[in-house]
Amino acid sequence: MKKIINQPENYVNEMLEGLYIAHPDLITYTNDDLRCLVTANKKEGKVGIATGGGSGHLPLFLGYVGKGMLDGCSVGDVFQSPSAEQMLAVTKAIDSGAGVLYIYGNYNGDIFNFDMAAEMADFEEDIPVESVVAGEDVASAGPTKEGEKNTRRGVAGIFFVYKCAGGAADAMLNLAEVKRVAEKAADNVRTMGVALTPCIVPRVGKPGFNIEEDEMEIGMGIHGETGIRRGKIEPADQIVDEMLEKIINDIPYVSGNEVAVLVNGLGATPLDEQYIVTRRINQYLKDKGIKVYRYYVGEYATSLEMAGFSISLLKLDEELKGYLDAPAQTPFFVQL
Amino acid sequence: MNRIYIVRLLKEIQDIMDENRDYLIELDSVVGDSDLGLTMSDGFAATYKAAADSDEMDIGKLLYNAGKTMSTAVPSTMGTLMASGLMQAGKVLKGRTELTDTDIADIFEAYLEGVANRGKAKVGEKTFLDGFDPAVTALKEALNNGDTLADGATKAREAAEKGFKNTTNMVAVHGRAATRGEASRTLEDPGAAVAMLIMKAFENSTVE
Repeated sequence: MKKIINQPENYVNEMLEGLYIAHPDLITYTNDDLRCLVTANKKEGKVGIATGGGSGHLPLFLGYVGKGMLDGCSVGDVFQSPSAEQMLAVTKAIDSGAGVLYIYGNYNGDIFNFDMAAEMADFEEDIPVESVVAGEDVASAGPTKEGEKNTRRGVAGIFFVYKCAGGAADAMLNLAEVKRVAEKAADNVRTMGVALTPCIVPRVGKPGFNIEEDEMEIGMGIHGETGIRRGKIEPADQIVDEMLEKIINDIPYVSGNEVAVLVNGLGATPLDEQYIVTRRINQYLKDKGIKVYRYYVGEYATSLEMAGFSISLLKLDEELKGYLDAPAQTPFFVQL
Repeated sequence: MNRIYIVRLLKEIQDIMDENRDYLIELDSVVGDSDLGLTMSDGFAATYKAAADSDEMDIGKLLYNAGKTMSTAVPSTMGTLMASGLMQAGKVLKGRTELTDTDIADIFEAYLEGVANRGKAKVGEKTFLDGFDPAVTALKEALNNGDTLADGATKAREAAEKGFKNTTNMVAVHGRAATRGEASRTLEDPGAAVAMLIMKAFENSTVE
């Protein structure tokens, strides 16, 4: 293991200490717990938006707390859910009478804890809470059938759900309306990823799996969950085509649609390569008659030092475009 | 029976999870991420300590707070499920300071309900419930037939063991094991093993 760390046990808290030092104008913490991160600019009367999840994915999840996006985030150990108690502390701190919306990824540990926190908020604090669970990784499971629960993993596409819901809350919409916007974004986003190398959880000290030098795994999850195909590495254009085909046939995205595109590095893939990918995405979507409203390129949801990238497409309407355009300022994302 | 019995029961559960830590790690390493032995021994240790250190006489509050302590100590999937069971039992017993044998059955039934609701799982899906549900049914039946609590606990433990063994005839629907589909059938479910251990601890708690 080659990492720039001190004691592995201190990994999360030392990372948080650094973040509070670097961004005192945007974030702080509540409950005397570094892991209960909240905005430094609470807006009275606004619906609070909270997220949470394991560490190891920066800028996810906490990096989108700030103005115009999220109001709080509970932070877990690397790849582990934070506790319901921490979620409740964040909920209490960010509620200003309009209720709180939870937006988080589709993982059992997070679901159980957020459900418990929502019950405690209602039972102990009389704070109304609604939840939207993001699960858009097309490689992780088939499309959700009518009446069945979504079993897809939540990955980088949650960024769009944050941005749209954050815009709606900042426009002072009520809890039900902010939830509706979040659900609309979650329903219209799809993601797929590819991994070239594994990642190492600091306290474990070695990779949990191996990818051969000349191999890639299409569809691998952001904790190293098994993908749909492992094979020899291919040229960038071919990899992009295979991923986009899966994505656009899923909702589907068709000629005449307008989309926002997120090209996301998983932690160790150079920006240069991400722009090579972006070039091909543009060619591919143009051929299909799908119009791109805006590109987002960079690291939005990582998996420690994993090499690879993901592509997310958000199908847009006028309402979602408006919320994407709305100003936001967070430690990792700024919309002017 | 009063809070003293509940503290004893939680102590028995702590002890049995501690004794079986390596067994659970081993079971979980086959289907999960092998942290179950640690989360169960750490979680129930925190739960016992919370109850033993508190002077709460209201058994409902005692159980609810013990559950909250567990959810903070081990916010893993299984930790949160066990916390949900304790908290649901706490809600059902709220305001009570004395317990009858039937109340004990009610505690386990509420625990079952709390876990099932949180996990959105049903019997037959190769989970904790497949060990716990038959045990609760056996306990209620035994008490209805006039058995002592100790005899009921023995029947509950036997039913849980049988339920655990039966998980080798089930396809996993939840968690990482589910991604194996049919190949998960012959595997023993670690969650059902936890249910079996809780029932063994319950049986131990009824012995003088």
